[in-house]
Amino acid sequence: MSNIVRQPAEVIYQAELDALKAEDTGTKPFNWSLSPKAVVKYMMGGVTADGVEISAKYIGKRRLIETAVATLATDRALLLLGVPGTAKSWVSEHLAAAICGVSTQIIQCTAGTDENQIRYGWNYAQLLAKGPSKEALVPTPLYRAMENGTLCRLEELTRMGSDVQDTLITVLSENMLPVPELNDAIYAQRGFNVIATANNRDKGVNELSSALKRRFNVVVLPLPDDINEEVSIIVKRVAEMGSKLELPLPQNANEEIEKVVTIFRELRGGETLDGKMTLKSPTGNLSTAEAIAVMVGGLSQANWFGEGALTAEDIGSNLVGAIVKDPVQDKAVLEEYLETVLKKRKAYSEYYHIMNEVL
Amino acid sequence: MSQADVHYFGIRHHGPGSSKRLVAELEALQPSVVLIEGPSDCSELLPLLAHHQMKPPVALLAYAAENSAVSLYYPFAEYSPEYQACVWAIQNNADVAFIDLPVSVQLAQMLQSAESQSSEEDAHESESMTDALDSESAIESESQNAQVSSFSDRTEAVSSTQHDIRHDPIGALAQLAGYEDGEGWWNDLIEQNRDDNAQIFETVNSAMAALRDHLADRDELSEQDLVREAHMRIEINKCAKAAIGNVAVVCGAWHAPALKAQHTLKSDREQLKQLPKKLTKQKIKSTWIPWTTPRLATRSGYGAGVLAPMWYQHLWSEQNNHQFLELWFANISVLLREQGHVVSTASVIEAVRLSQSLAIIRNRPAPGFEEVREAAIACLCFGEVLQWQQIESALLLGHGVGVIPDDAPMMPLLEDLQQQQKRLKLKPEALEKELSIDLRSEAGLAKSILLHRLNVLGVPWGKIADTGSSRGTFRERWVIRWQPEYSVQLVENLVYGTTIEQAANDKLSEALSVEKRLKILAETVQMSLEAHLNKAADTGLKQLSDRAAQTSDALELIESLAPLVNVQRYGTARSMSLGHIHDLVRRLAIQSSLAIPYACRNLNDEEAWHYREAIAKAHQALILAELDDSVMDEWWRALKQTLDNPQSALLVSGLIARILYRAEKISEAQLTMLLQRSFSPAVAVGDSARFFEGFFTDAIDQLLFDPVLRKAVEAWLINIEESAFIEFLPLFRRVFSALDAHERKRMIDAVMSGRSNVTTQVQLNKEMLEHWPRQLSRIGLLLQRDKTWTQ
Repeated sequence: MSNIVRQPAEVIYQAELDALKAEDTGTKPFNWSLSPKAVVKYMMGGVTADGVEISAKYIGKRRLIETAVATLATDRALLLLGVPGTAKSWVSEHLAAAICGVSTQIIQCTAGTDENQIRYGWNYAQLLAKGPSKEALVPTPLYRAMENGTLCRLEELTRMGSDVQDTLITVLSENMLPVPELNDAIYAQRGFNVIATANNRDKGVNELSSALKRRFNVVVLPLPDDINEEVSIIVKRVAEMGSKLELPLPQNANEEIEKVVTIFRELRGGETLDGKMTLKSPTGNLSTAEAIAVMVGGLSQANWFGEGALTAEDIGSNLVGAIVKDPVQDKAVLEEYLETVLKKRKAYSEYYHIMNEVL
Repeated sequence: MSQADVHYFGIRHHGPGSSKRLVAELEALQPSVVLIEGPSDCSELLPLLAHHQMKPPVALLAYAAENSAVSLYYPFAEYSPEYQACVWAIQNNADVAFIDLPVSVQLAQMLQSAESQSSEEDAHESESMTDALDSESAIESESQNAQVSSFSDRTEAVSSTQHDIRHDPIGALAQLAGYEDGEGWWNDLIEQNRDDNAQIFETVNSAMAALRDHLADRDELSEQDLVREAHMRIEINKCAKAAIGNVAVVCGAWHAPALKAQHTLKSDREQLKQLPKKLTKQKIKSTWIPWTTPRLATRSGYGAGVLAPMWYQHLWSEQNNHQFLELWFANISVLLREQGHVVSTASVIEAVRLSQSLAIIRNRPAPGFEEVREAAIACLCFGEVLQWQQIESALLLGHGVGVIPDDAPMMPLLEDLQQQQKRLKLKPEALEKELSIDLRSEAGLAKSILLHRLNVLGVPWGKIADTGSSRGTFRERWVIRWQPEYSVQLVENLVYGTTIEQAANDKLSEALSVEKRLKILAETVQMSLEAHLNKAADTGLKQLSDRAAQTSDALELIESLAPLVNVQRYGTARSMSLGHIHDLVRRLAIQSSLAIPYACRNLNDEEAWHYREAIAKAHQALILAELDDSVMDEWWRALKQTLDNPQSALLVSGLIARILYRAEKISEAQLTMLLQRSFSPAVAVGDSARFFEGFFTDAIDQLLFDPVLRKAVEAWLINIEESAFIEFLPLFRRVFSALDAHERKRMIDAVMSGRSNVTTQVQLNKEMLEHWPRQLSRIGLLLQRDKTWTQ
């Protein structure tokens, strides 16, 4: 056992990938290690002919994954869009692992990312010693992916500045990376492609220019459709995080998770779960990941300050904090929700009172 | 047994793929008789289909003469195999006829079930009957059934899977294979195999036979189907005996195996015996009516409808065009551009490529409906499903309307009107006439309903003479006048339904479902109630509650309260159950309460005036609405909060102060303090005046009775500087003009008597009295502007 906290996907799921490769008879696009159909199977789960169980990497609509894989097969770049906590990076990592066996060619885009981190940098010692030459170039993950004909992942594409983003236009449309200093260019090998992820809810990010946007096929990953699915994801993650933080999970945690998810889903979806009443939605995105954070916060409060059981009091203030992101607008939305919906529900009366108090 | 060769073609209703094969096959077979699944007593209408003025989509309509709500529709699109077969037959001089159960029998069945309300044998019917409260809505539910009518029968309760299979067995098979759209499956599995045409119908036939066997084992075949098939067999036999040459039978794929099977004539006759006696010819009307493309879609409630009529139309009209996929994408991009989205040609190219590689991943020979949709979303809509949904209905449902020849038989709507006119003794006259209606009498109510409904349909035969004041009373005054063009206007509504009630319901529902303004919605709901259009009212209420949640405009919320409370009271007075209207009023009241304190801050005069009006009306309504205390507490709390907030618009605060004072929510002392504060010298005169205006508009008579108010106002008015007073004079005049001469006199008396009671602190200086006349004359001069006077 290695001491690495988490191995990349292609290592963790080595066995599954091998099994799929063994049974795969479909035609593979150039330099792909699996056929598109096998990639979809790897993502959505199933059983191979040899009886190897393939775990589901993505729980949701098959259509979306099919579109994503088909996009990569057409040599078009893929942009995975979605609110935080919708498994964008996870999908991107597994796609890269399944298609070219390498998920680690990754550029984390931030406001501080500059062109050198996208295109190439210079090894100044070499540069001084030998002058501009190919040896003096320091390749980036994108550079390497182009050379090897593999996939490069760009995380949080919209976080880096627009001028830097636009560096990608030539790469995506002409599949080459000019090196004007050497009067040369890097030409992408067949099999090269880009998977980018971006958040479509955040404010203050750098919108993609339409020139760049046009070069991507966009797949929007939605929040879970089904309340049970979401509850089970949260139960699982809360338990995992709880054990990592050494927080015991009280008996009633599942019930409370269900209530929190109900509140989240109703506000996010803009209608009550029974569909009888439409509601306003707050400005925050209320993703599954935030529900997890609310629960973990509540757990910690219950553990250190409470009496072991999880109460509405522990969760209430976290919940208000998660929902009210804009002090004026969201407060009005929440007030309306409390008065028109929660007030009438007996099971939620504690939440109603606590949240009213916090407001 | 039969002399002629009978060939059976099991088709998919409204399937362009089927149509194409069918026409090719008819061409090859050259039958002398073409028999089509459709009501046998409507055969004489078939030749009209090939009329040069006839443009599909059209529908064959049959209804009972005595009750046109009991009706059946058989829609035909250009790509319907039945339509194509019929046109082929007429153009090739072949005989063409319908062979299914005659409408006379089907309508008799429907009438029967409409009459026997508690019939046990018909689970579905009895269910809707028990829901129905009176006979009118029983017909209503019947008419809804009629809407869903289709080639397959619709009167029996069937489990949903079986229902689907019988309506569209090919679609059901496609769904099992993971297709959303039956046509895609047909294309991929049947068309692409490129078998010869006869072979294809054979394949479909055996698939259906297997399906039917399976259902037969589980005893799930519908009784009605068996009866219809027996009838069709008899008809086919009859035709086959008389015919020379080939006979082609065009029927739903589902029925094909049953029609082919050997049954004795006797057993078939036996089957038919259970049918009710058919209606006589005079009791049935049938005709062609124009249909619309959206109504061919399943989602419009048409059971045998298709997923996307325009896609099918495209499949049919571009069937020989190898660029048909590109053309469809071009359609999509045109629509997106119309919506203001930028769609470049390069993106369209990418979309076409993506759809092709998606098809490969899914193991399909060519991109179908779903691949196209997903590719369009990913490449043309930047992944936003919302953008796709914006164009979806225009793209997939279209808005085509069929045309029927001028010489088609009489229109049902006009007939319905004539019947009602006769029944109500209300003659259409070209001269204006006044009509006073007592709504308490049955005949009066019926007249009023008819006139209201016609108004909804854009036929203003009657205009209500006194609006407003008559509401809620039991008398209506109308001015009626018929004009010839009204007939034409009425017929235009045929797409909405065959009876005036149904058409008005559907038309209003459609308008309601796109309306966004709460106030208009609430008013339209009231209109539908006056016209007794329950379906429209339900739609309106639903839309209202949806919109109420989404609107963030406080003014809209407040404004919607008054009409809605009116609706509620209208319903209560006539003991109608109006669903959730009570909850809705409650909810809107709470929402308004939450919104008012925020909304009334920092407004300019004009906005503030709107809010003032809206709040005044809403308050009036809420007082009458008999809401429970918790809601009213919320309302009072909101009002108080607004009043206490110095940022609130003063026009509104003034009104609220009055409301609260009158409801004794604030005491006399509090009010005095409030007035003194608002009218204190430090407050700008303009602000005081706004408060004054807000307080006293429409309520100036309060000054007559309330010394507290009078004193405060008087003190303020006396202290206003002259220039300011003149500036606000128009306002004072406006406010005080609500008083009539008599009241004004009383007001002056009240003010003066107040004065006389005032005891002054100043002592009279007796010594100066003798100088007084002299001073007086000096003042007199001064008043005449005589400057010569000096001290």
